[in-house]
Amino acid sequence: MTTKRIELIAKPNPPHFVGDGFRVHNFIPSYPGLDMKRMDPFIMLDYNSNHNFPPSQIPKGVGVHPHRGFETVTIAYKGKVEHHDSSGGGGVIGEGGVQWMTAASGVLHKEYHEREWSKTGGEFQMVQLWVNLPAKDKMSPPKYQALENENIAKVTLPNQAGIVEVIAGEYNGTQGSASTFSPLNMLNAKLEKNGEVEFTIPAAHNTAILVLEGSVQVNGTEKVPTDHLALFENKGEKFTLKALEKSVILILSGEPLNEPIAAHGPFVMNTRAELMDAFRDFNEGKFGYLED
Amino acid sequence: MNNFRFTHFLTSNAQLDQELTDKILSHCSRKKIKKGSFLLLAGEKIQHSFFVEKGLLKQYSVDKKGKEHILQFAPENWLMADRESEYFDKASSYFIEAVEDSEVFFINKDLIIQLSKTDERFIAFNNLLLHRHIRSLQKRITQLQSASAEERYLDFIQTYPDLTLRVPQTHIASFLGITPESLSRVRKELADRHRGRS
Repeated sequence: MTTKRIELIAKPNPPHFVGDGFRVHNFIPSYPGLDMKRMDPFIMLDYNSNHNFPPSQIPKGVGVHPHRGFETVTIAYKGKVEHHDSSGGGGVIGEGGVQWMTAASGVLHKEYHEREWSKTGGEFQMVQLWVNLPAKDKMSPPKYQALENENIAKVTLPNQAGIVEVIAGEYNGTQGSASTFSPLNMLNAKLEKNGEVEFTIPAAHNTAILVLEGSVQVNGTEKVPTDHLALFENKGEKFTLKALEKSVILILSGEPLNEPIAAHGPFVMNTRAELMDAFRDFNEGKFGYLED
Repeated sequence: MNNFRFTHFLTSNAQLDQELTDKILSHCSRKKIKKGSFLLLAGEKIQHSFFVEKGLLKQYSVDKKGKEHILQFAPENWLMADRESEYFDKASSYFIEAVEDSEVFFINKDLIIQLSKTDERFIAFNNLLLHRHIRSLQKRITQLQSASAEERYLDFIQTYPDLTLRVPQTHIASFLGITPESLSRVRKELADRHRGRS
C-alpha cells in the first residue's frame, strides 16, 4: 500500500456570520481548489473556530430556512445548539454530539444556541457539513440521527495515543454510529501529545482533515496547524498523523458520487429544472411550515 | 465580447448591433454597491437607469407615517429606473436602495434620451421595455384593487422565485400591500393544504 499525500493545506478564510450565531470560516466550496466537485460528496464545510460568545438572553442563531437534496451534519465540539424543524422534530446537540439531518425531499429548520447555554455564553466551536445525496435518494423522506457523544463508537489507540471516534463509516473494523447513503468516513481523532495514528482509506476517496485543536505532522513530514484543513491526493491508501501537542482532528473521506450538481442557495440537485421545482415547492408550502 | 449579463440583456432583447451595444456599454459604469446604500433618494432627480448584474435592489416610497411601500424589486437581469424623474426631469418620489451587496450598471440618462430620439433600433428596444413595464404596472394595480392576499403571493413567487429566501417577510408583505401577519397566514394555509393532501 502506498502513502496518501497532501495535495494542499488550506488556511481558514476570513470568518463571516451565518445568522448571528455562527461565526464561520468556509472551506468548501469557496477555498480555491476545494469546490463542490473536489470533495464530493462533501459539498460544504463551514467551520466555526473556537469563539467566545458573550451571554445573551435571546439565543443567537439562524432563522427558518429550507434544505433539499442533501444532508446537513453538525458536529458540536464546544457549546450547545438547539434545533427545530417543520416535521415537528427538534433537539439539543451537546458537546461532542452530532446531529445528522437528512433533508432529502425537503425540510424547514432553524438552529440557535441552546437557551440556557446562551444565558451564560462561552466558548463555541462547531463544524457544519453538507453531504450530498445520490440522485436516487434526493427525494427520499427527511430523517434525523441525533448522536450524543456517549453513543458514538470509540476506538482506544495503543500507546496512550488517544482515541478515534467513529461518527460514520469505519475505523479498524469498528463501524460508525450514523448510517449514510454512500460510502464515507467521518472520524474524530483526539490525540495526546506525540500520539500517532494511521488511517487506511481507499485511494479513490476524496479525503481531507481539519485540525480543530493543536497541530499535527502528516506522514512524518508536513505540519498542519490549528484551524487549517489538509486535502489529500486521490492516490495511495495510507497516511499517518502525529500530534505535536494535544490535538483534535476531524477526518473526512468519501467515495465521489460523480453526478451532476445543480446548486442554488439551500438546494442541491442534479439539474436546473429540479432546482426550479425546489424553489416552487418551497414557495408553495410543500416543505411545511415553521414559525420564526 | 465580454460576458456580462447586461451585454446578454441588450443583445437578446433587441436587434442592437455590436456598434450600438459597445456605445451603450462605453457610456455606462459598473459599480459595486454595498448593502444598504442608496442609488436614489426621494426628492432628487435621477441621473441613471440601473441594470443589476449581481445582487438586489428595491424601489420604494415612504408615507407620512414613515412606512415603507415597496414598488419593485430588481434582482439579477432586471432594470430599475424612475421614468417620471428621468423623462420629465422631475424630483423623484422614490428611494432606490441595495438590499444585498450588488454589482450595478449605471446607464446615463442623457444617453438613453438621446438614443430614444435618434436611433430606431433603440426606440424599438425601449418601446418593448416600456410596454412590458406598463403591462406589469396594470397587473399590479388590478391585484392591489381586487386580488386576495394568497393570489398576490402566488403571483409574486412566479415573478420572483428566489426572493422568499433573500428578503425578510416584511419586504414581501410591503410589496404585496398586506400585513406581515397576513403573509404568514397565507404561507401557513398553503403548507396546511399540502399537508392535508399528502
